[in-house]
Amino acid sequence: MLYVELLIQGLIYGCMYAMIAVGLTLVYGLLRILHVAHAGLFALGGYLGLLITNATGSLLLAMPLAAALVGVLGMVIYRLCYQPILERPPYVALIASIGLFIAMEELFRLIFGPYGLTYNNPPLQSLIQFYGITLRAVDLAIVAGSVILLGGLAWLSQNTRLGIAWRATVDDPQMAESFGISVIKVRYLNFFIGSALAGMAGIFISLLSNLVEPTMGGVPSYKCLAIIVLGGLGNVTGTLIASLVLGVIEAFGTIYIGDYLDRDAIAFAFLILVLMVRPQGLFARG
Amino acid sequence: MLIYELSLATVVCINIILAVGLNLISGFCGQISLGHAAFYGIGAYTTALMAKAGLPGPINLVAAMLLTGAVGTIVGLTSLRVREDFLAITTMGVGFLFLGIVRQQERFLGGELGISSIPSLGLDKVTFFMLVLVLAGLATAFGFYLKKTWMGFAFQAVADDEDTARVLSVDVSAYKLAAFALGTSLAGLAGGLYCYFARFIVPDDFGFITSISVLSMVAVGGIGSVFGVVFGTALLTLMPEFFRFISDYKLLVYGALLFAVMRFAPEGLAGLIHRFFQKPKGSPGDAV
Amino acid sequence: MTALLDVKAVSVHFGGVRALENVSFHVREGEFLSLIGPNGAGKTTMLRAVTGMVSPQCDYIRLAGRDINRMPTHRRAQLGLALTHQLVRPFRSMTLLDNVTLAVGHRRIRSILRAMVSVSRSVERQKARRLLALVDIDADADQTVAGQPLGVLKRLEVARALATEPRLLLLDEPLAGLNHVEASHLADTIVRINKDGLTVVMIEHNLSEVLRVSQRLVVLDNGRKIAEGVPSDVMRRPDVRAAYVGKEEAHVVS
Repeated sequence: MLYVELLIQGLIYGCMYAMIAVGLTLVYGLLRILHVAHAGLFALGGYLGLLITNATGSLLLAMPLAAALVGVLGMVIYRLCYQPILERPPYVALIASIGLFIAMEELFRLIFGPYGLTYNNPPLQSLIQFYGITLRAVDLAIVAGSVILLGGLAWLSQNTRLGIAWRATVDDPQMAESFGISVIKVRYLNFFIGSALAGMAGIFISLLSNLVEPTMGGVPSYKCLAIIVLGGLGNVTGTLIASLVLGVIEAFGTIYIGDYLDRDAIAFAFLILVLMVRPQGLFARG
Repeated sequence: MLIYELSLATVVCINIILAVGLNLISGFCGQISLGHAAFYGIGAYTTALMAKAGLPGPINLVAAMLLTGAVGTIVGLTSLRVREDFLAITTMGVGFLFLGIVRQQERFLGGELGISSIPSLGLDKVTFFMLVLVLAGLATAFGFYLKKTWMGFAFQAVADDEDTARVLSVDVSAYKLAAFALGTSLAGLAGGLYCYFARFIVPDDFGFITSISVLSMVAVGGIGSVFGVVFGTALLTLMPEFFRFISDYKLLVYGALLFAVMRFAPEGLAGLIHRFFQKPKGSPGDAV
Repeated sequence: MTALLDVKAVSVHFGGVRALENVSFHVREGEFLSLIGPNGAGKTTMLRAVTGMVSPQCDYIRLAGRDINRMPTHRRAQLGLALTHQLVRPFRSMTLLDNVTLAVGHRRIRSILRAMVSVSRSVERQKARRLLALVDIDADADQTVAGQPLGVLKRLEVARALATEPRLLLLDEPLAGLNHVEASHLADTIVRINKDGLTVVMIEHNLSEVLRVSQRLVVLDNGRKIAEGVPSDVMRRPDVRAAYVGKEEAHVVS
């Protein structure tokens, strides 16, 4: 039974990582930028979700609202921060993003306090039992939510004009432009979707641990950077799979090698191991 | 000199050694490393353990440099395998790996609580500062010197376009390893000095934030510019001290400054000064 | 004359694309060979296989009798191979002079330890200036690369390639983007260098210049070699003309 529980634990975290990592890999695929500040949006989602739920009593209202707000902020960040420096060497955007992330974390600390916030009335805490395993409603909600959102995204990208235009642009921006697709609009869309998903993930984790605090973006951001490399920078499917794989490896790894290696380091140990064997990541860019 | 100011000056000099080392790897040779603090830490822990074992200061410092340089070369080998974007994340991973291992090793490395009661070098504060100042000066001089050599020239080519450098017969892999070996050795030295300075080290001294701090000193000063990096280091280390009222906002200012410099002046302070005093025939190759 | 470059059965596949299929040819010492064919024929891929930027399947790739297929690119350069790129790749952080100076100093930087203790660049700078003068761009020697017109950058590629004192010079479309006068001039310079003893393999679309300067042609189409021989013979062949018609209308010389 322990194995099954660990597996489920791993998958739940994997789903959350996936929600964050997808946005990261989308940005990289389109702009070749490591968008570290993405983690700040993740944290912001958690904060907004919690605050709106506490204020209105409705998680159902908070979720889409917070996600949308975070999505918009993501687009703003693209316009103000990244668009002007696209022609510069890659380390410029990377360090700018890191600076932005640090500033965001500090703003959370200064505005909302260093000790974090909790839900007045933590939702989705009811327990569900099946086959001898106990889960909380929030665990199921995360898995269901991720599957619906990511699955929906995949369906949209295959079956709508907008989705197809988007995929074409990610594949070959110049070609897409010659077909009349507005590359700028696609970029905005990318940032909106990616940031909104990350914001959602932030809400998920706030529900899981009933806490949002200023540094909550740190660890997931580093891990998700490892994940997108594993998945093949720019490869969305690879990233999804790598997220789940990593979630599971972490869950098992903590039990078996937790004596030698801190939980957060497991992700990177795995990454370095994989890269040494396959420098292009588990799934190279398709 | 007042004790507090002396300590501050000592820290600036230690940071300069760290930053010059990172500038070698990331500035001269173009290999962006987000895990430099790990080498700082290896140097510090090596020195701490050797000092507690009773070995003399100079030997410990040299050993710290050599060991760190060796590990740095191995990490450099990973840089050969992966492309530029992967490298930044891989080096970040190395940093977390180092922390992850150290945090769990309670028996030998003190775990989360670190190592305390490290014996002193036997120098008073002023003399210790003089030592660190001289070493920082030597490190800076080394940086200037290296830039003028053919090794510095080769580094520049590797940083600019490594595939073309290969076609021009440059052994790119060897040069990248050399950059890592030299840059991390300096970080190891800085770590050893820090160890004797603080006499107490914890894993968090060598975490991702530290790596970013050093990188920001390099970037704000002007990546690749020796003088700029020294200036950037001094500025970022001293800034919170001059503006005490912002000490609670220190990290916020760090973040905002990093962002602002990269957004509006990516060549850093050195670049700004260069543009200010622009010579009509000026070539970037002359910049120091 | 012996074969300086000898390639046998070279094939390169990218994903599902067969960029090169079983191509063999050789180049004699001192020869001026041109590699021609329509776009996408695999010419650049061939050069990249020779320099090692691409890993082919082959029977062998030999330089002066030595099998170089397993060697890293920089080793091949040290053995006397030089390449200019189709899309110019100057070092943008350096001046024109420094671009060439680095290449002139190729022996200095062969050994890391030696490079660490060598400071003086004056000898190399002088040689670099001479090379820039050879291709008529010494007036801009101290300018940075930024903002230089294509004609200058293409000639910089050649000067820099020559600086490594190669035995075999591979040129990938050195004349593309140059106007008539510049192209003719540069082609003459290359011919002079060839007459001085440097073996040249050139990819070019500018057929009038190619036919004027080459001693021998190898024609590729769709990854395969379809013809080889003296320019006048090769250009008369119907399959060669067919390969160009419809794909290269702007450059075909009838």
